[in-house]
Amino acid sequence: MTTIIGTAVPRIDAYGKVTGQTEYSGDLVMPGMLHAKILFAGRPHARILSIDTSAAEALPGVVAIFTAKDVPVNEYGLQINDQPVLCGPNSPLPAGEGTGVRADIVRFVGDQVALIVAETEAIADQARKLIRVEYEDLPVLTDPEEAMKPGAFLIHPERGTSNICVHDKIRKGDVEKGFAEADVIVEAEYRVPMQEHAYLQPEAGLAYVDENGLLTVKAAGQWTHVDRKQIAHALALPEEQVRVQYPAIGGAFGGREDMSIQIVIALAAWKLKRPVKIIWSRQESIIGHAKRHAMVIRAKWGARKDGKLTAARNLFIADGGAYMYTTNKVLGNSTITESGPYFIPNIEGDVIGVYTNNVPAAAFRGFGAPQAAFMAESQMNKLAEKLGMDPVEIRRINALKETDTMAVGTLPPNKPTVLEVIEAAAEKFGWEQGAVSRNQGSVNSHRAAVKRGRGFAAGFKNIGFSFGYKENCWARVEIHGQAEIEAVTVWCAAAEVGQGNHTILAQIAAEVTGVPLSRVNLLTMDTLNMGNAGSASASRLTVMSGNAVKGAAESALEKWKNEERPAVAEYTYLAPPTTPLDPETGYCTPNFLYAYAAQAVEVEVDTETGHVRLLRVVSAHDVGKAINPDLVVGQIEGGIVQAQGYVIQENFITRGGYVLTDQLSTYLIPTIWDIPAKVESVLVEIPAEIGPWGAKGVGELPYLPLAPAITAAIHDATGVWIDQFPLTPERVLRALGKL
Amino acid sequence: MSLWKEYLHPQTVEQAVQALSAAASPAIPIAGGTDLMLDLQQGNHPPVHTLVDLTGIPELRALEIRGEWLFIGAGVPHNRIVESPLAREHAASLVEACGLIGGPQVRNMATLGGNVAHALPAADGTIGLLALEAEAEIASPEGRRRVSLPALFRGPGQSTLAPTEIIVGFYLPLRAPGQGSAFVRVMRAQGIALPILNLAVWLERQEETIRAARVAVGPAGPTPFRAVQTSAYLTGKPFTAETIAGAQETLLAEARFRTSPARATAEYRRALAVVLLKNALTTAWQRAGQYPGSNQQ
Repeated sequence: MTTIIGTAVPRIDAYGKVTGQTEYSGDLVMPGMLHAKILFAGRPHARILSIDTSAAEALPGVVAIFTAKDVPVNEYGLQINDQPVLCGPNSPLPAGEGTGVRADIVRFVGDQVALIVAETEAIADQARKLIRVEYEDLPVLTDPEEAMKPGAFLIHPERGTSNICVHDKIRKGDVEKGFAEADVIVEAEYRVPMQEHAYLQPEAGLAYVDENGLLTVKAAGQWTHVDRKQIAHALALPEEQVRVQYPAIGGAFGGREDMSIQIVIALAAWKLKRPVKIIWSRQESIIGHAKRHAMVIRAKWGARKDGKLTAARNLFIADGGAYMYTTNKVLGNSTITESGPYFIPNIEGDVIGVYTNNVPAAAFRGFGAPQAAFMAESQMNKLAEKLGMDPVEIRRINALKETDTMAVGTLPPNKPTVLEVIEAAAEKFGWEQGAVSRNQGSVNSHRAAVKRGRGFAAGFKNIGFSFGYKENCWARVEIHGQAEIEAVTVWCAAAEVGQGNHTILAQIAAEVTGVPLSRVNLLTMDTLNMGNAGSASASRLTVMSGNAVKGAAESALEKWKNEERPAVAEYTYLAPPTTPLDPETGYCTPNFLYAYAAQAVEVEVDTETGHVRLLRVVSAHDVGKAINPDLVVGQIEGGIVQAQGYVIQENFITRGGYVLTDQLSTYLIPTIWDIPAKVESVLVEIPAEIGPWGAKGVGELPYLPLAPAITAAIHDATGVWIDQFPLTPERVLRALGKL
Repeated sequence: MSLWKEYLHPQTVEQAVQALSAAASPAIPIAGGTDLMLDLQQGNHPPVHTLVDLTGIPELRALEIRGEWLFIGAGVPHNRIVESPLAREHAASLVEACGLIGGPQVRNMATLGGNVAHALPAADGTIGLLALEAEAEIASPEGRRRVSLPALFRGPGQSTLAPTEIIVGFYLPLRAPGQGSAFVRVMRAQGIALPILNLAVWLERQEETIRAARVAVGPAGPTPFRAVQTSAYLTGKPFTAETIAGAQETLLAEARFRTSPARATAEYRRALAVVLLKNALTTAWQRAGQYPGSNQQ
């Protein structure tokens, strides 16, 4: 065996991306290509009475304008079909006749009303301004707690008698008995904000009908095969008629799981038989794709004097926005993780998702777990304070063990390693050596108003799809050559969203077949001649696509040894089965694998201005086996920077359903000047039986502990708990009682 | 779709104002273009026909002592001001302001004249200049004139400059012994952001007394705000905690802080004004105690 597993080989896609040779969706060009623009609703809730496109159509250079009447099956959705492709009257299949969706209603500002196709982008833009839409405004619901009340105006009347779209429950043990046994109780309300993915590359794509008559859509996504399914459904085409290919992907973070431009450009290309291209502006991207769920979380936890948790009662109310997207799955994940990585004998949990007229909420790195972790870890830190106990110690006492049941009532599928990551983070940080020096101020400031503090938190998350989904990933490996192996070709549709998956797959193929990395070729991110790989999400691809490529490579190598030339093998890796949440108790085995993380942080708080600065983060992760340590560290550091934006800098502001921060000059993401000076990644490698060479996943884990670790550090510095973020200077100053 | 039809490169001030009068209209001047180009691209500025580029005019790029004044050309980019020993010596509040504008790329392009001509109430460079009691030299087809800085502002984003006029540069009084200035600001928690509040102080001390003071703050009204009552209050007072407290009270009484939905509430701005005034006064006071030429910040 070679030793390429565990080696920090350079990314195989680095050269092309660094030199600008790699083509992203926005770079694609074809002869005869047309340009498209989308007319967005621009209002949060209204009925469209009429759409007049005549003036726009009369503009020279305009080729076609598509509206609701042109969409064969005017509905789509990743989980359920509750969203019109184009909003407006006269859909071919009205609600109740083949689709359940009332297409004449716009339910958020980013709903799409018309697609304008023209010879140039400028003409399309000009024509867009000439379309006249007559709206009748409807009541706008933006507060989920109002929207969930009985009698509230229904955003999806065809979907029942309430705006509640998800309600997951946990009923484990007897919480009243648990609270009675507790010596201390902590009750609090937490509020967490929406977050914009802000990937580098806004939505873009090119669609055309190829020489074989296949409708081809080239647009960055996360899961080629479900993109194809949704496009085919809306266009009433067989799936085989549609091909989805991903050019290079400029970041995703969950925000590319749901459709944005794919269906409409496919529709236009199919009808016009000409290539159609679209590129969204940053503003269009910010209003046009889903966000992280804002939530209100009310929690009551109890513990005994010895630190042992006795009971927890949690209520989550999540803003689902205008459509389901993946809210049901995201909230399922909040449900699973609402205990934190701790054993709690008695839990009552209610996780409620509500339709509103805000921009929809969906997948975002962490997938419901960061919100739950903020609550759970803050509860732990406050219990430790009440008990006069060290925050690391209370976690040691309650850390989930192999023999402990989780919130869902069943045992963990793989050995929990939360204790190991807690110890690793505490040791690297020097936690036991005592508190950080107080009042020393920053390098640039010697003012006594600047205080320092430290905080600790842990987190856990599933690796792979949950709740009874038949988790699978397909790969094919071809070994070419005669006397010796000259080339190894790997086929796997898995998406390289920047995390390094394709490098991992090449490393695995090289390791199994014993060839240098340079002899491995990858064919990826395509539905044509490729099986399903599943999504680049749930931190799953190292395990899922890694196992698939490993299996196919091993099988191909057997054939190679048996003199087959070329030696070709396909393999579909099937993960162990899981089960869905019981609707009344939550009892289930939702996952086949979990990973664990812990962080210790140091922050500085300017008590005069309210500014919070993250100075140092130690992040310890059980990754099972780091197949490529540099890529793992890249995921940890990138995750921390993004999570820091979530907690400190970013502030997604909406008013009445309108987005006030729809540009990167108003929606501030961290810059190089804002990120912590020191991020120390600690890789703990406790192999998972299930993963390739014992590997687990890491992509989402760095996100989970950061918010509660930062607010604990602020408490350490100032004595004040802040249960809501982003930690804008104004919010911090208010919490300190200075406003 | 181009953002302009004609782009002119005058080499002198006279050619520039001539071009603004004679070229196909609308004709507007451009220097660093860091705000203007974005506004044009995003449709937030009415379409223009002619752009008159001022950055090739040597006079506008000058930064030098002229008699009793420090002259800074309107076309001098912020990074040059930050690095200039002359500016550091005589205009500390301006140097500090210019160092906080945008990121390095913006500071390499954006000019002080553009910062002032844009007439935004919280423009950092403008606030830094206001406390220094700078004067601006204006060129028009009829000739040149010098005006005090506040005379340039009409309202948010509106200057009093005629379409055919440009700012040639700024005259700042040279720093005398016992004088010092400082600029402080608070922005949202990101390295590159618009100010939530900024504030500049200039003062002259004699022993332990404030002989004269000037305070400017933004945003605190439709135009860059000179806190004349606070300045008057400070004049002749000893530099004590009591004086600072009185000045803070005076500032809160005379400045009109407002709420911007995506940035900050008026309440937060009031709290910050108190902190920034104290910090800027303290720094300026310390600097005033250092003899000019000692080159300490």
